[in-house]
Amino acid sequence: MTVHTGYAGSAQAVRNKPPGLFQQMWASRSDYLYVLPAIVVMLVVIAYPIYYTVDLSFFRTPPGLQLRDKVFIGVDNYTTILSSDVFWRVTLNTAIWTLASTVIAFILGFASALALHRDFGGRAILRAILIIPWVISAVAASYIWKWIYHSDFGIIGAVMVQLGLVARQPNFIDNVNTVLPSLIVVNIWREFPFAMIMVMAGLQTVPDQLLRAAKVDGASAWQRFWHVTFPHLRSVSTVTILLLSVANFNSFIVPWIMTGGGPSNASHIWITHIYELAFGRQRWGVAAAYSVLLFIILMMLGYFYVKALSGNEKQEQGA
Amino acid sequence: MSVTSIRETPRSRKRIDGWRWAGRIFLFLMLLYTAVPMIWMLLTSIKSGFAAMQFPPQWWPAEPTLASYQKLLDPQNSVGQDFLRFFWNSLFVSVCTTVLAVVVAVPAAYAFSRFRFPGRRFLFFAVLLRNMFPAVIFLVPLFILMRLLGLVNTHGSLILTYLTFGLPLAIWLLKGFYDNIPVQLEQAARIDGATRFQAFFLIVMPLSVPGIIATAIYSFIGAWNEYIFAATFLTKNEQLTLPVGIQRFFSENTTDFPGLMAASFMMSVPVVVLFLILQKYFVRALTEGAVKH
Repeated sequence: MTVHTGYAGSAQAVRNKPPGLFQQMWASRSDYLYVLPAIVVMLVVIAYPIYYTVDLSFFRTPPGLQLRDKVFIGVDNYTTILSSDVFWRVTLNTAIWTLASTVIAFILGFASALALHRDFGGRAILRAILIIPWVISAVAASYIWKWIYHSDFGIIGAVMVQLGLVARQPNFIDNVNTVLPSLIVVNIWREFPFAMIMVMAGLQTVPDQLLRAAKVDGASAWQRFWHVTFPHLRSVSTVTILLLSVANFNSFIVPWIMTGGGPSNASHIWITHIYELAFGRQRWGVAAAYSVLLFIILMMLGYFYVKALSGNEKQEQGA
Repeated sequence: MSVTSIRETPRSRKRIDGWRWAGRIFLFLMLLYTAVPMIWMLLTSIKSGFAAMQFPPQWWPAEPTLASYQKLLDPQNSVGQDFLRFFWNSLFVSVCTTVLAVVVAVPAAYAFSRFRFPGRRFLFFAVLLRNMFPAVIFLVPLFILMRLLGLVNTHGSLILTYLTFGLPLAIWLLKGFYDNIPVQLEQAARIDGATRFQAFFLIVMPLSVPGIIATAIYSFIGAWNEYIFAATFLTKNEQLTLPVGIQRFFSENTTDFPGLMAASFMMSVPVVVLFLILQKYFVRALTEGAVKH
């Protein structure tokens, strides 16, 4: 346990015998008042929905969501999912989407942070411009890119035609083969700034003396980066990559607004597919079962996330 | 100075220059990638519908016009009426969410930072884990819950829901701030006879204003940009927020790209302006937790 804070902690340290759990809880009863409102909100709108989703996944519910008429069907919803072709298609899409977006967004963000680390004229303005895509609404971003990809008047296609690369405007997002990469480009546009901000913050924790010492010892720029800077960025990188992968795994607006999962499921990822099952086709039970599977995957990711975070904490305590 | 060091200096400078140039070229490419779509949005928004639909495209609008903006901002016009209403709805929901998130998150974050009550770590991680779950998982049950509470088709349903993702982030951001305020300040106040609450309210609160501002911007941006719950919980045209409103609005009339780009621009202005003014606080708060967790 940390030493640096806490009245309750210091009060306990004075006593000889560590008090029991309930004594401790009673002793800190006033502490709970501070977190009580937050906990109540979280319980109502988080614990209840999770319980409810698990419950619903074992039922068949009529399209109008009349809950009185729901029928218990055991694990049928789960077997339906796992035996459908769409499931595997969507899973593959989700894997490509999540991996490609996360890796490329992280690399671009990381490189931008490094390039922006050295001071030069206009750095602050450049940084602000690079962050803007992350701030603006995903709905606006989707419309902007839809216009850029437009099959008749899109700017990318027009440039390609004018350069003589293609004979006529390519159809970026109505084509089964190009739709997913095209959407990934949009997603990376929105997300690399986040990686950039995180890595920039990490760069500030690299001690200057170490870099200077390495320089005096004759280390090249690359050696200094690899042996001094990079190790300091390890923990922030882990957290960033985890947060990015969770965000990508959960992204909805860009694929939904730009293509609605089409053409022929080529850009459906788990989230958009669940949404369509629930609110489009009103197959509530199947959608709930999907959500439970999603929940399990995310819990595993969450386990790594918590481990990465507590790793940081330990490192800090050791230092 | 020795001969070797004289010989080494120009060589190492040359190497650094190589890196510097690589960095500059890379940044220039990133600037293109980032800015071209936004510039294209702006340029399209000041074209006429006819000028936008030309091939090859007019790179620079030959006859720039503010007609699209006039239409959106004109309360006499039916388009303008809708747009302005969506705008105010978004503003109302976002401000309410922000105020509530800050009021609930400040004491919670303070407790997580300072107190050592049993279950603290578990609760804090439970809060953090909330960020991992997508809105879709909560959509159906919350829809049913809102129906039970009679909140479907009210802005209350959105404000309550936005709190669920606003709160965890707010608590996380603020905890990072409180961790950096020395406990000794409160201890001194306590010795001088202040209660724990007074110490918190009079000493710590004023010091955490930058953190509170950052948290507030984050909640505001999150609520302003939210789409999926608003699309599900609201059905009446007069209640829609901007992201949903714009979608409904242009799905009937997709050929008006200048109008759509103007609306996208107007929707982005408040958050970008807020962000640019306060980005120093914001970036600091966001990264504090991750770096020095």
